[in-house]
Amino acid sequence: MSQSVLHLSGVVKRFGETLAVGPVGFEVQEGEFLTLLGPSGCGKTTTLHIVAGLLYPDQGEVRLRGREITRLDPQHRDMGLVFQNYALFPHKTVFDNVAFGLRMRKVAAGEIRERVLRMLDVVGLPGVENRQPHQLSGGQRQRVALARALVIEPSLLLLDEPLSNLDAVLRKRMRLELRDIQQRLGIATIFVTHDQDEAFEMSDRVILMNVGHIEQVATPEELYDNPTSRFAAEFIGEVNLIDGTVAGVDGGAAQVQSAIGGRYRARGDLASVRAGDEVLLMVRPERVEIEPDAAAADGLVPATVAKRVFSGDLLIFTLRTADGTELTASKPSTQRYRAIAPDSSVWIDLGECRLLPRGA
Amino acid sequence: MRAGGGLFAAALFTPITVVYLVFLLAPIGFFLMMSVFRYSPMELWQPAFTADNFVRLLSEEHYRVIIFRTLEIAALTTVFSLMLGFPLAYFLARTGSIWRGVLMFLVIAPLMTGVIVRTYGWIVLLGSEGTVNVVLMWLGVIDEPVKILETQVAVLVALVHILMPYMVFPLFSSLASQDPDVERAAATLGAGRWRIFFEVTLPLSRAGILMGSALVFTLTAGAVVTPALLGGSKVQMLGQTIYDLVLSTLNWPFASAVAFVLVFCQFSIIFLYLKGGRRRVG
Repeated sequence: MSQSVLHLSGVVKRFGETLAVGPVGFEVQEGEFLTLLGPSGCGKTTTLHIVAGLLYPDQGEVRLRGREITRLDPQHRDMGLVFQNYALFPHKTVFDNVAFGLRMRKVAAGEIRERVLRMLDVVGLPGVENRQPHQLSGGQRQRVALARALVIEPSLLLLDEPLSNLDAVLRKRMRLELRDIQQRLGIATIFVTHDQDEAFEMSDRVILMNVGHIEQVATPEELYDNPTSRFAAEFIGEVNLIDGTVAGVDGGAAQVQSAIGGRYRARGDLASVRAGDEVLLMVRPERVEIEPDAAAADGLVPATVAKRVFSGDLLIFTLRTADGTELTASKPSTQRYRAIAPDSSVWIDLGECRLLPRGA
Repeated sequence: MRAGGGLFAAALFTPITVVYLVFLLAPIGFFLMMSVFRYSPMELWQPAFTADNFVRLLSEEHYRVIIFRTLEIAALTTVFSLMLGFPLAYFLARTGSIWRGVLMFLVIAPLMTGVIVRTYGWIVLLGSEGTVNVVLMWLGVIDEPVKILETQVAVLVALVHILMPYMVFPLFSSLASQDPDVERAAATLGAGRWRIFFEVTLPLSRAGILMGSALVFTLTAGAVVTPALLGGSKVQMLGQTIYDLVLSTLNWPFASAVAFVLVFCQFSIIFLYLKGGRRRVG
């Protein structure tokens, strides 16, 4: 196992009476791109500020390469932080902005010049060193902020929603570029975002947070396919959730009788699942299979096409089953699926589902 | 839109322009002209051009002392207001305390009482049997009352107090408009508290410092009541000198020349402010 750069354990932070974070614990591995994902107010930025030393936790411990830094001042932490609003020094040139951290470290002037110019090159902004921040576009300021954080060669790069102030096109391009720079420099990174697409496209691992605690830690694929809670399932992408009752558990899967009529195999955390339990079945829209004209074969459930939305590469179907449940299915807009008209009767199959506990 | 806007703007500006022309620029023009007229004991002034007033003003020791004293007190008041006002403004701008509103009110409160009332307050405090002397004697710091009134110290203390809001508010708005993340960024890059203050906070407060300083300097330079009541004849400043020349001596041409010097000093400061403020910051 690779060495961990950062180790948080049992971190709790309260603002007055309100519990903002905690208890939270996780590790960041060498070279890893880790994302803290969650809705606003979930404590992800607070957690990042605790890592950066801008806030001290009420309980718990922060370690950087084994050294305890829980209450160390931010200026002694060796971390590069990029803010959502860039937070460039408005009265300094781009060069002086990027050079700031090196000057604080008393690096020799010649080396500062060389490293600043090289870093501006890395972030794709050669030749702007004499400009003032207000002369730059949002995307350029973002790159300067990134260069400023990276030039000090920190142990850890911290990114606090760095893309959310950019327009959609630029945001998409910067995702790939940011990931690319991170990979090239091999720098361990914590990225904070509320945007699931960003988290998925960029991260090695995602920590999903909700009201101050960690819901799930997983790779993007794992998080998408096997969420462990209803919150995780609903926060990530589109999802169909169907009520069901456990009929039996055999080996790695449960047999669940669904409210829409079919009986489905479902995987998940089965340790405490017993026959007769009320559960939820989760299935992603692209996994819902639609058969235009099948005989009533095993496991197929009749449904009506309530709505069909064409979005270019995809067709989004809203399917209503006999009990009134509405399911969403997203299918490639090929001839096969285009032929399925609104209001027509079809058969649907959910295949293997994911089992989730009922309740929250 | 443009033509209509221009007409509309003109309509908005007309009343204030008339007020300024009739009640400010015309009198100023009049006294500027008066300053080169000849003094006459019988008719107050004669419309005959002369440079005598300025020659006298600059050659007589008495008036040179008053000019320099005025500039010195204005400069010192500005420096002390800045040094005392900055921490206060910084605290007000950054605190999350529920007392912030109350504190803001306390800063404004002095503006709600007249200058004369506050000046008499200082007389009560600083007099030979005033609170300051009584407390100092009780503490055993001094054996007999020290003379504070009619010294430059009394004038300075009172002016710093009276003009404090004019310093604090520009500083406050300048500090409050700064993005707190900029200071945080400096901290994460390795700057300690003092480095952050001198490298980030202070330069970004430049507009507020210039504005507050220009206000306090010009207001001090033109102060009449406070120096007159607390400094008496010992700490005469330009404002009181003009007042005496106009009402007691009745030498209007010479009074105008003194006023010209005062207004010239004040305009120089405002000019410096505008020049300094034009350099774009933030």
